Amino acid sequence: MKEELIISGRNLPNIDPHLHLWHWPISLYLFLGGLAAGILFFAAVITLFGKEEKYQGAVKWATIIPPIALSVGLLALLYDLTHLLYSWRLYMTFRITSPMSWGAWVLMLVTPLSFLWTLSYFKEFFPNWKWKEGIWSYVDWFIDFINDNKKIMAWVLVPATLILGIYTGILLSAFNARPLWNNSILGPLFLTSGLSTGAASIIMLSKTHAERRMFSMIDLVLIAIELFLIIHLVMGMMAGSQVQLEASELILGGEFTVAFWVFVVLLGLTFPAILEIFELIGFKVPAIVPAALVIMGGLIFRFVMVDAGQLTRYLY
Amino acid sequence: MKFWEENKRHVYWNPYFGGFMLGLLLIATFYITGRGVGATGGTKSAVVAAVGKVAPKYAERSEYYGKYYDEESNPMKNWLVFETIGILAGAFLSGALSGRARFRVQHPTHITSNKRLMWAGVGGLLFGFGSQFARGCTSGAALSGSAVLSLGGFITMFAIFGTAYMLAYFFRKLWIH
Repeated sequence: MKEELIISGRNLPNIDPHLHLWHWPISLYLFLGGLAAGILFFAAVITLFGKEEKYQGAVKWATIIPPIALSVGLLALLYDLTHLLYSWRLYMTFRITSPMSWGAWVLMLVTPLSFLWTLSYFKEFFPNWKWKEGIWSYVDWFIDFINDNKKIMAWVLVPATLILGIYTGILLSAFNARPLWNNSILGPLFLTSGLSTGAASIIMLSKTHAERRMFSMIDLVLIAIELFLIIHLVMGMMAGSQVQLEASELILGGEFTVAFWVFVVLLGLTFPAILEIFELIGFKVPAIVPAALVIMGGLIFRFVMVDAGQLTRYLY
Repeated sequence: MKFWEENKRHVYWNPYFGGFMLGLLLIATFYITGRGVGATGGTKSAVVAAVGKVAPKYAERSEYYGKYYDEESNPMKNWLVFETIGILAGAFLSGALSGRARFRVQHPTHITSNKRLMWAGVGGLLFGFGSQFARGCTSGAALSGSAVLSLGGFITMFAIFGTAYMLAYFFRKLWIH
């Protein structure tokens, strides 16, 4: 008998055959990061155009969300870490080729700015507070200082939030061993989704009809771009090699088909888009409904991509 | 002025026309999915899924849940669940088109919103029990059942509408203006 001895070095639990490391905190964080980036991007752009008075929902009310979203998202990230006490090392270096390094630094920039942004409205949120007395006068001075430099903050926030939004996707697409993630569309797709959920949050918190209308139109354009990118993601997969075909099988008949097509594409993008079109041509639609659907869709989208992507692989 | 701005009053279809359309819908449903429509089935799947998540052993043993519960498959992957989501979406679109998609509680003036909601809850509860006795509600048993000439379907339908006809007088103050 001819004996054949096969030696395999593949003993990588949680990585081989499937990645099994990233759980719900990652999906939640990617969603919250995108949402915060979206809201702050619009707030910054409106500030640069000097239209703060007209779009108060975007600059004043919706910007309460980013500091909370980023804090919860970062807590989720920390909760997910196995070696929490090594996390400081991310800030000892900057690697231009590492999306995680970009993300760590851009968060270090955007998170404090998001808190300052909300703080700048505290005198309007609490007008009856004794701002001029005692120690509060320093806070009062600081708030005035932030408000005087709002434009500078906005200039920093526009590129920073775009990097934050796109990095949430590139973080996944840089995994060259996971074919569902490993494509150049995922970055722009996550950015668009983040901007779209940001616009939806602004619609929910806006107090004027004109602003809701404006952001409904912006959201519609973003949904159209997102659908276009999703179609191209799937087409690119289908035109790929066997590994890509098997990866796309997960959302084309596999276990994530319903979650992706029904809850993300249909109920999270197409249906709210139809409702927003109805609203724009004059039908009465409670604005909260399409906005809530877009936000739900964005959340489910992150869960589907993170969970499905980990199941896909190159080597067999 | 736009058409829908001129027609902000309630626009309902003629009920007979609505019934005819419902029949056509049922034919389409049988043709596309191979089964009839249903309304309470989706709720039942949600309940079974919830019980299965909280107490899987109990769901398996229980005479009632055991029939629908299986550890391997998700009870929510049922066509009635998705049909119910579709009904919600479609109803919302239809309400928006006729200018009725608003947050409000409709009730006669001599009754408070709370009272209306409470009685709606009581009625829904009774209907839920009934639908499980009859193995289907107005849609699943009466409509889809009678469409395939099921005797149980006809009995359910006559019982639902017959009882409503008999008892409506006593509860009329809950909905007449």
